Amino acid sequence: MSDEMITDTTTAAQAPAHPQRNEMLTVAIGVAGWFVPGLGHALQRMWGRALGCFLTVGALVVLGVGMRGNIFSSESGDAFGMLGYVADLGTGSFYFVARALEPQGSDVAHAEGDYGTRFLAAAGVLNLLAALHAYEAARGRKA
Amino acid sequence: MIAATDLHLSHFQAMTLFALLISIAFGFLSRRRTNERVKYIIWSLLLFLLIGVGIGWAMYPFSR
Repeated sequence: MSDEMITDTTTAAQAPAHPQRNEMLTVAIGVAGWFVPGLGHALQRMWGRALGCFLTVGALVVLGVGMRGNIFSSESGDAFGMLGYVADLGTGSFYFVARALEPQGSDVAHAEGDYGTRFLAAAGVLNLLAALHAYEAARGRKA
Repeated sequence: MIAATDLHLSHFQAMTLFALLISIAFGFLSRRRTNERVKYIIWSLLLFLLIGVGIGWAMYPFSR
């Protein structure tokens, strides 16, 4: 009787651990998708989506840098600067690639630089959307 | 340090490139099958361009 109780207690204590582990895994997939565009989908063997995300976010970043768009930093004084920083940081590791590719800094005095700023921000927001999609797919809500 | 080359694009070229890349990303994320993706990408691209040119045209009188 006592053995049965112990067994039941152990099973009951272990049962909730699986959903927690699954939740941690889905969060890890979301974070991986944010840090490397497309990785969240690649980990779930969604190769087309992984490649699509990687290439489109990468192309937006390269074009944005090529047009000398503004890459916001954490030292931005105003609220718009902080919003821009959050959007740019949405590209994950590509944020640092963009900074490395643009050693001369931005040039927003021309329309191209202004467009470049939008390209970089759009890349970040798009990658956040893709990471959220990967997270939802890992939870089984979307596919 | 790797430096990117300066790109010089017209307004229309920048808008078209932006619309194309965003359409491709949306198509891949929201559709599963290849033919559905292609249809979605083409429709999305056309709407992006149409609305972009439409807004530009509507704002033209205010630029003077």
